[in-house]
Amino acid sequence: MAPTIHYYCPCQSGESVQTPPPPHMASSSASFHPLHSLFFCEECDAVRCNRCVSVEVSGYYCPNCLFEVPSASVRAEKNRCARNCFSCPICRSTLQVVASDPPDGGDGRPSVSLSNVGEPPFFLYCNHCRWDSAEVGITFEKPTGLAAQLQKFEDSAPESLEFERLKEHFEPFLRTSSLSSLSHVPSTSSHHLPTSSATAAASAALARDIPGVGKYNPLARSRVGRDRTANKDEMPEYKSRMEIGVLGQLGSEGDGSDVEALRRMESAEEIASLEQRWGNSWTTSLGTSDLRPLRIPLHSKVSKRCPSCRHILIKPEQKAQSVRYKIKLVAANYLPAMTVALPHHTQGADATRRPQAKVPSAPDDRNAGAMMAGKSYPFHLALTNPLYDPIQVRLSVQRMHVTAATNSTAPEKARRTPFAVSLPTSSFPVAAFAEAWEYDDDDDMFGLEDDELGLEMGRTRDKDGKGKVKTVGVLEKRANVTVVGGEVVIGKEARGHVKFNMLVSYTYRSDDPLPSEDGAGTPSRTVAKTPEVKTFTFYTVVDLGPILPREEKLDPDI
Amino acid sequence: MDVPVYYSKAEFIETDTGNKVSRRATIAGPQNIILGGKTIISSGAIIRGDLRRTGPGHAVVISLGRYCLVGEGCVMRPPYKTYRGNFNYYPMKIGDYVHVGANTVVEAATIGNHVVIGKNCVIGKFTIIKDCAQVADNTVIPPNTVIPALALFSGSPGRFIEDLPESTQEMVESQTKQYYSRFQPLER
Repeated sequence: MAPTIHYYCPCQSGESVQTPPPPHMASSSASFHPLHSLFFCEECDAVRCNRCVSVEVSGYYCPNCLFEVPSASVRAEKNRCARNCFSCPICRSTLQVVASDPPDGGDGRPSVSLSNVGEPPFFLYCNHCRWDSAEVGITFEKPTGLAAQLQKFEDSAPESLEFERLKEHFEPFLRTSSLSSLSHVPSTSSHHLPTSSATAAASAALARDIPGVGKYNPLARSRVGRDRTANKDEMPEYKSRMEIGVLGQLGSEGDGSDVEALRRMESAEEIASLEQRWGNSWTTSLGTSDLRPLRIPLHSKVSKRCPSCRHILIKPEQKAQSVRYKIKLVAANYLPAMTVALPHHTQGADATRRPQAKVPSAPDDRNAGAMMAGKSYPFHLALTNPLYDPIQVRLSVQRMHVTAATNSTAPEKARRTPFAVSLPTSSFPVAAFAEAWEYDDDDDMFGLEDDELGLEMGRTRDKDGKGKVKTVGVLEKRANVTVVGGEVVIGKEARGHVKFNMLVSYTYRSDDPLPSEDGAGTPSRTVAKTPEVKTFTFYTVVDLGPILPREEKLDPDI
Repeated sequence: MDVPVYYSKAEFIETDTGNKVSRRATIAGPQNIILGGKTIISSGAIIRGDLRRTGPGHAVVISLGRYCLVGEGCVMRPPYKTYRGNFNYYPMKIGDYVHVGANTVVEAATIGNHVVIGKNCVIGKFTIIKDCAQVADNTVIPPNTVIPALALFSGSPGRFIEDLPESTQEMVESQTKQYYSRFQPLER
């Protein structure tokens, strides 16, 4: 496993605590994210993640026909595609409309169909599991507007009739309560009223049907509700369309008929799995033969907002299949991107130099990057600057007091013996990002070769000068990338992963006169009138990989 | 930091536009195949440019964009169907920055830009893959499937798993460019 580095989003911790949880705790993974999934709010000057942003739907589309559904018709179509898109009730792949075989021409070969679309009846066919809708008696006269052709079956289904009836029943109350809440404008919680009268009715029904369930009375809790007690009493009792006992006739009783069906069953596939029945709103029969094709649920495009200042971080283009964004404030454009590598890992891969293109993470070197307890290893951190200004970066390892505390007290003391990480203590520069480097891959990779040579020479020079390869400090600078070396010393009894929190702070020259002014921190700070230095600090977690216990000699040449 | 991926110089042919094509790949009907430049065809890959549409004139069967990778042992085969009684092959169009993992069989009709397909996948006939979509390793996509933009598909049959992050385009672009620059010859 290659070493990883993840970035910290402070949304999980409280207001006062801005330090991340200790990395060895399983819960800490919720606070760390890969850089590419993070956002950056310019107003708050803070990192935001998918857990904390507020999400708004900006458009709906069908993932199969890619039709953009106007939001007005989404509810009427019950959030599913109302055109020709169905998914297989057995395997959930997309169904295809196929025509029947053309009539036999008499010479043993099917005659060529003259019509454009094929012979009716048409049916839905699954290309994956070969299910077809003719099996369950669904065929179509024409191959278009299938959902409309099935509409009458869907509308006459008992569950949708019941739902319509429920809506009808509650509608007058919703209307009157919303009207009355409009007239009682001063009440702060007026928007809760429609729901509270509905829940009152529901809880009344629940209390009646299930003995021993106390009435949940939300009205008693709010003064506004008490004013409206009269409204609650006005609500007549809801009578379901169908008595519970009648459900048995639908083949869903769960007793006699099911047992009978099970008795006659020959294979387990005849019973629909829980997943296949999960989406049904009504109990249906257990047999797979009763499953119906499903209209494909719609997908949505979303825009995202900063949770604290409500500024938009992500705003997609209207077109459903466009991958462009009108607004896209991602952290990768603000924070330096960091990658971490273990040189002893990559050297191992180099040594075996395969003639063919093979990714270095082939299964055989699964343990090549592992570290032995009681040894020290150098590691490399490459920082890439996305800003148009050079930055000064300072790295420091977060003190792991929690680990230390568990060491002294917990019985698993031996297992938690930590490791020591040394990083360059002084700050180092990372050059500015320039568009020109985007095109350096066009000039035949000479740059890369030179840099590699430079690195090798630099390291040999170090060796000559100090008699020792330099491991901690700046190792390489190229374009907007700086590689620094660090070293980890692993204790003799260490177990688990070499995983530590690292504080990264970088300073850049800001053009803004004052940091409090708005419009702070665009990545394009090219004009420097009053150069002011600003600092941004964030936490990361570095996972260098597992520690192997000393006894286990995996490879004789390690 | 970028570990080079070495290949033997004798094995690969490099074109003027930077395409690197393995001599051990089977390229049938090369006159019907277009490579956009800086595209790598790995050893053991099979590209069936010979399965062209019947009829006179020149026909492009398979076109690949820039910075694509056809992995080892991949099969790229244009889709076919019988329409109004006539059997025919249909062209396959693949955009820029598309990586196809090892031993994957592709019979898609259209693959957009910035698409990553894992290894050991089967991409069924006439599949349409939109921009920035990804297919996980060992996925089977049934024929005629549509994979929307920025979606991750996985499983057998391949199903929608999640929406990919907004920065997928930049990530895939830099990864594919980086892979091309890491793909270096080794004299021996």
